[in-house]
Amino acid sequence: MNDFLMLNVLTELEDAVGKENVSTNVVDKITHSVDYFWLSRMWADRGLRMPEADIVVSPKDAQETSKVVKIANYYKIPITTWGGGGGTQGGAIPVAGGIVLDTKRMDKIYDINEQGMYIECGTGAIYKHIEWAANERGYATMHYPSSLTCSTVGGFLAHRGIGVVSTKYGKIDDMVLAMEVVLPNGDIINTSTAPKHAAGPDLNQIFIGSEGTLGIITKAQIRIYEQPEDRRFRGFLFHNMTDAFNAGRELLQKFKPSVMRLYDEAETASLIKKIVGVEKKGAFMNVAYEGVKEMVDVEEKILLETFAKYNAEDLGSEYGEKWWKEKITFFYPGHMMDLPQMFGTMDTIAPYDKIEKIYWEMKKAIETNFPMARFIAHFSHWYEWGCMIYDRFIIDDVPQDPEEAFRLHNAIWNCGVRTAIANGGVVNDHHGVGIKLGRLMKEQYGPAMQVFEGIKKQLDPNGLMNPYKLGL
Amino acid sequence: MLISKKSKEIVDACRFCWMCRHICPIGNATGQERNTARARALTLSVVERGAAELEGGIIDNVYECALCGACTKECVTGWDPVKFTKETRNEIALTGKLPAYVEKMLDNIDETGNVYGKTEFCPCLAEAAADLAAMTDTLFFIGTDARCKATDKAAGAVKLLKAAGVKFTVLADEADSGYHLDFLVGAADETKAAMTKCAEMLNKFKTVVCYDPADAKVMLREYKEWGIEVTAEVKTFTSFLAEKIADGTIKPAKTDKTLYFQDPALLARDLEETDAARTVLSACGEVKEMLLYGKDVMWAGSTLMNEYLPKVMTLTASRRFDDLKHVGGKVMVTASPSEYAVLKAVKPDDCELYTIEEVVAGC
Repeated sequence: MNDFLMLNVLTELEDAVGKENVSTNVVDKITHSVDYFWLSRMWADRGLRMPEADIVVSPKDAQETSKVVKIANYYKIPITTWGGGGGTQGGAIPVAGGIVLDTKRMDKIYDINEQGMYIECGTGAIYKHIEWAANERGYATMHYPSSLTCSTVGGFLAHRGIGVVSTKYGKIDDMVLAMEVVLPNGDIINTSTAPKHAAGPDLNQIFIGSEGTLGIITKAQIRIYEQPEDRRFRGFLFHNMTDAFNAGRELLQKFKPSVMRLYDEAETASLIKKIVGVEKKGAFMNVAYEGVKEMVDVEEKILLETFAKYNAEDLGSEYGEKWWKEKITFFYPGHMMDLPQMFGTMDTIAPYDKIEKIYWEMKKAIETNFPMARFIAHFSHWYEWGCMIYDRFIIDDVPQDPEEAFRLHNAIWNCGVRTAIANGGVVNDHHGVGIKLGRLMKEQYGPAMQVFEGIKKQLDPNGLMNPYKLGL
Repeated sequence: MLISKKSKEIVDACRFCWMCRHICPIGNATGQERNTARARALTLSVVERGAAELEGGIIDNVYECALCGACTKECVTGWDPVKFTKETRNEIALTGKLPAYVEKMLDNIDETGNVYGKTEFCPCLAEAAADLAAMTDTLFFIGTDARCKATDKAAGAVKLLKAAGVKFTVLADEADSGYHLDFLVGAADETKAAMTKCAEMLNKFKTVVCYDPADAKVMLREYKEWGIEVTAEVKTFTSFLAEKIADGTIKPAKTDKTLYFQDPALLARDLEETDAARTVLSACGEVKEMLLYGKDVMWAGSTLMNEYLPKVMTLTASRRFDDLKHVGGKVMVTASPSEYAVLKAVKPDDCELYTIEEVVAGC
């Protein structure tokens, strides 16, 4: 775009959101060019500039967002939505330049509705802030991912995030009642007033996980929960993974714990040993159960009886409580994998009849094809029908050449995720797709991909909303 | 970059970590991604790798940080973004890249002895201190922010101590503590010279009571770190008040108001003093807490940053009143004259704002 036209666009955007909320400053461009995606971090680490937006815009609400979207549509300028930038899939990186629309000024808490049990807020609100707001009234959001303090409500919705007490309380897509969305043509819509209905397909679930490709979620009603009267932890050590899967599956047929996290032997011997202090060999599982005390008493009895059948060693409550206390510590610099290492989390999900095979096949595929990689895994979100694998590869000796590192990174991801898909897993569980896994979406969905493509084409005919993400 | 190896390590640790985003008062207020420790670290890491220059907006961003230490307090690994930010400011000064608004404040210090360029002061402080002895064992150190931006509050504090029969001195030609220079240019020669000059003044007394926690912070932390000897015992005003109430010298007035204390960040985090003010206020009435208090306090603003980021200070201060209202509070109490001044400017009609000595004297 020539300078004259660019200046014209800038003045229109300034008119829409205020001059101080439109930036072409280098500091804003750089800070919106690198998210938590390993490739973007590596690129910056090697002294290279990531693709940057031409303009960073921060609207304060749906009305201003609508104006920005309309301007972008008129001038055919791509828009990438940025919440907290804490995503691992490169979903917030403005790879096509254009406008980055930062949502964080849309952080207003409009209503803490104790009757309806929800908080209505702008999607730019940091999730921890709405947790504080809930806590002040004696409630909780029960959405506790490691990125609780980093990420926005909109970021979690856009990428279908999940927290550590998901087994009882659900994923983010279970925690939202209604949403306000700005469509790519600038229209402002509201999804239905209740999340369960028979009024056609669920509009919420069309936009949740759409990663800014179908519109911009600007407001949401997020569920709040009563604080549990009692929350207890119990650590267990399994002798093998098969017993652990079977024990977990059987337990889920009886009641829903809040936390269920199974660590394979490799991760038990590394991260769990380092942070929680479990020294013994085996597969560590932490279980938390909570709610009304009388029910927690019963659940504890069922838990102990069920896991005893699978020869799980009862480690008591100490390690579980330590894990709860340190649940976010795992992700701070110095505890988490970091550059110069190469690493990635190939989270996938499948029913119980497939999940163990996927785990072993992915482990074999990574370790065989990339012998320089270590493979560790835990299983952190469980359902009555299956669970997810949070499997990671770690490479210590990484090529210094950024292109070589880039190719190696993508080859490992292709190998791991294709193995998961081939064995009945889904391309991703809760980090989303972004640019990292977009190419694998068609492999996952086959002809079903045309449903997403059709929606995209109808809503965003100019293809401006977060281009090259989600395989769209 | 010229910053220390340790600071470069912190930059590289923080550049991809957002864990402290939620407690940054500037970032929360502006909603701008650049107002996070990680954004500042990322940008400086890009500069360090030669892919950007330390100039323009990157320099402005370094000056958008309040140095309140919330990010440092939050980090479980112990990384300290304040350190690399201060060192970068020092590098900016040493390489002659200071922004015009910082140059202007430094010129003010050169020309008038204070960062605000004030040459005329409200006479109320001089009047309050008029009949004090020229030399006692105890210096009541008013500080630049109070002298320039909250003179009437400082005068009120003087009157309270006088009325209680406390023997102390207030100096008309009080030296600047060096806090502002430290904030603006870090460990520069000029900063050390100002601190040395101030220490010479302090050392004529046995005890120094700092009205402003920012001055106490540099006297107790930076002076020591830089080997500037202070023989006088430096006390915070809050701890001094608590001491005088405990020994019966000061009889606090009672109030039926419910009081919410806004901890000065430097007092709570750098000096680790959170109890004294609450002891004082508890002697006056009921004390409750708003979101983020004590060492976790959310900084509300400063008169220094108000010189170059007035809109941002309006936002940070307003948000603190929002926090007060969220818990059903109406009365906020501060012990920082600087924070008082920015809070006062945005105080909603349905809230009250007092300094701690006003509460003790009877609000």
